Amino acid sequence: MTAVIETKALSKWYGNVLGLSDVSLQIEAGITGLLGPNGAGKSTFMKLLTGQIKPNIGEVRISGQRIWNNFGLFARIGFCQEQDSFYEEVTGWEFLSGLLKFFHFSPAEIKTRAERALDIVELLKDKDRLIRAYSRGMRQRLKFAQAIAHDPEIMILDEPLNGLDPLGKRKLIHLVKDYKSQGKVIIVSSHVLPEIEAMTSNIVLIHQGKILARGDIHYIRDLIESHPHIISIKCSKPRELASKFIAQDFILKVTFGPEPETLVVETHNRDKLFGLLPALLIDNAIEVEEITSPDDNLQAVFDYLVGK
Amino acid sequence: MAGLKRTQGSFSIRSVGEVFSFFLFLGRRAKKTKVFFFLSLLPVILVLVIKANQILSSNPSVSVTSVFSNILMVFDLQFLVLILALFYGTSVCSEELEGKTLSYLATRPIPKSAIILGKYAAYTLLIVIMMAISLILSFMILNSSRLLMVSLYPELLRYLGVLVLGLICYTAFFTLLGTILKKAILLGLVFGFGWESVIQYFPGSTQRFSIVHYLKSLLPSYPSGGFSFLLFRLEPTRPGLALLALALLTAAFLALACLAFTYKEYIFED
Amino acid sequence: MTIREKGYTHWDGQLRQTRFPWWPITRTGIKLAFKIKGFRLFFVFSLIPSFVYLVGIYISERMENFRFMIKGSEKILQINPGYFKSYLTSDFLLFMMVMLLVFGGARLISDDLKNNALQLYFSRPIQKKDYFLGKASILFFFLLILTLVPGLVFFLMKLIFAASFAFFAAFPWLLLSIVIYSLLVTIFFASYTLLLSSLSKNKRYVAVLIFAVYLFSDIIAAILNEIFRTPYVALFSLKVNLQQMGAFLFQQKAHYAVPWFYSFLVLAAVCALTVWVLGKKIKGVEVIK
Repeated sequence: MTAVIETKALSKWYGNVLGLSDVSLQIEAGITGLLGPNGAGKSTFMKLLTGQIKPNIGEVRISGQRIWNNFGLFARIGFCQEQDSFYEEVTGWEFLSGLLKFFHFSPAEIKTRAERALDIVELLKDKDRLIRAYSRGMRQRLKFAQAIAHDPEIMILDEPLNGLDPLGKRKLIHLVKDYKSQGKVIIVSSHVLPEIEAMTSNIVLIHQGKILARGDIHYIRDLIESHPHIISIKCSKPRELASKFIAQDFILKVTFGPEPETLVVETHNRDKLFGLLPALLIDNAIEVEEITSPDDNLQAVFDYLVGK
Repeated sequence: MAGLKRTQGSFSIRSVGEVFSFFLFLGRRAKKTKVFFFLSLLPVILVLVIKANQILSSNPSVSVTSVFSNILMVFDLQFLVLILALFYGTSVCSEELEGKTLSYLATRPIPKSAIILGKYAAYTLLIVIMMAISLILSFMILNSSRLLMVSLYPELLRYLGVLVLGLICYTAFFTLLGTILKKAILLGLVFGFGWESVIQYFPGSTQRFSIVHYLKSLLPSYPSGGFSFLLFRLEPTRPGLALLALALLTAAFLALACLAFTYKEYIFED
Repeated sequence: MTIREKGYTHWDGQLRQTRFPWWPITRTGIKLAFKIKGFRLFFVFSLIPSFVYLVGIYISERMENFRFMIKGSEKILQINPGYFKSYLTSDFLLFMMVMLLVFGGARLISDDLKNNALQLYFSRPIQKKDYFLGKASILFFFLLILTLVPGLVFFLMKLIFAASFAFFAAFPWLLLSIVIYSLLVTIFFASYTLLLSSLSKNKRYVAVLIFAVYLFSDIIAAILNEIFRTPYVALFSLKVNLQQMGAFLFQQKAHYAVPWFYSFLVLAAVCALTVWVLGKKIKGVEVIK
């Protein structure tokens, strides 16, 4: 499959701060998930892809053409920005149909497209309300509507699920997958792994402006699975509990934490540990004060991957 | 989609027109437009007060001509035009950055220069309408007893023309400021109420380094025996040259603004 | 305490009420103002007149040494209440104060409205009055540095340079006048700025309003004076009202023959309007229909 979007040695500095470093990617049709913690460089990458900022080094090409100041390409691109900002004193309808005018559609076509887009995001009945009266979720859906209204071939969506309720997220994920089946090129960014996972198995991991890994979600998941989990337990009898854990084969390491009566357990099978724990506590009359998982976050995964 | 027309990658007047209509609509809706419209009507209120005073007082202190040229036009040309042009001119670019709505425009298939020109045209039209309503109403109130005198209207048109040219040129300048500077309002205030106020009284060619000099050069000359604040210390440029200078300045400011907006990177403040 | 005993309905920690809950708002606001380059420049620039006047006080005590420089201008350097009044009510100083308000004051409330920060404030243990006082105190800080501090320094340096308390004995009320006038100007300008800042979420628009309303009031007063030829139209001008109050407090002849309490009423009306508008506009929760 030929790459639609190509970046070569893409780098961007904001003063002395490195936003993106030497990113070379080829993106084909389908959904590419851009996954990274906050501040990783996802939005910087998206802005470079959409020509809003210029790279310090490298280039971005879409269908073989440079994107910077090439406004003709935007007829084929739909961009959903991360910021929650609008022209507040207009209605959803006026906003959407106003932006559709810039594609030189006829008035009838603008009406059709705007209605269709609003219907897709379930905002048709609220189209005549002012945007500043919209809820957070409605605003997010409107942002998505303006990105799809002109039926673009390429969709660049920066954190599109932010602010949506679980049902809204599910609908949008379903919609994005529909667009994939139409052969569109979709890039979606998020810092939440399950969200990306629900949309695509093709992921690009970005961290501190660099591409950490790229490939199938299962590969990423395996990396995470093999990453040992750390659980901290503060209880009345840490040594007794430790002696019970040591006998288990899925426990990799047991140490005593810096705080008094704290036990730190390392395992590669969290589910088994939490399955066993209640029985151990009840049978040995151990009172638990606190259970935490200090590394249960994407940052820890990334730190692990970086260390790897 | 069947029947889908794709945009050609070149500048088109149509793009400017589309941006113009969108922002004319937005501008009309904006709350601040109502505030500035009210501000532009203050000369009308002033004129009503003056007229009431003339009617009630047996010995009016100022003549109609003096009110118009020494009070109204001074207020309009050296205050109102500057305030309207400053706010709306800087808004062309700054509004999109502050509101973080620039992405909506920058990711449409329209040239960036069309965004600047279309928005500039929309906002200039809005403030020209505000100013025209204000001036025409004031003029009619002041000359209510001689509205049928046809000879009055060329003078009104001339004054209106000067104000409109002032709005066009100043708005272009402040549009340029807005595209290149973050704190455009502050420099705009210093320019409009500092430089423009002071330099116009300098002798010789120094006056020509201000926009207001060329505007004043287009004003009708004051009747003999009278005094005009506006024409005080003015060493006027010939009207034809003044018009040309204003046109060239406007074109230059807009061209530079388009250039800056096209090639400059704008990063939202988070 | 074990997990089953912990809950969110009781709190074992100590609750401590701070004496000045508005202070963090003021402290942060001052730091942020100094981060703005243009503001720093204007602030430094606006201190120049105070240095000039201070030098004038020095020269007034060394007239014989500087007679060659100030031939014919000895009257200007007579250090009396009029000297203090001329500094504190000077057009330039008032204009620079307005410019500082444009730079540093326009965003005070408008940024909070724009970023929906009011809920952040009012979900902390502060009340509306703490919020207003905190914001106003940022302006108090800068404006008092331009008014009260130079006024007191002039007074002190006059005593020091003269090496006697004769000046104090001659004008024992002068210190009180300096304090009252400085507070009056500061409170008025702070109210004026907060009033306009609360009217819009757009700080650029507020900046234009702060400048335009101040200038416009002056222009209107001049125009009306031209028409009606009565000094009472000067009450339309915010600047003139401040100068009238200055003339009264420093027991100097006012420029306009208008009783001082009319000017005071105008200034007080602006402050009252501010309190009313801020009370209406500043809410923890906004209901949009």
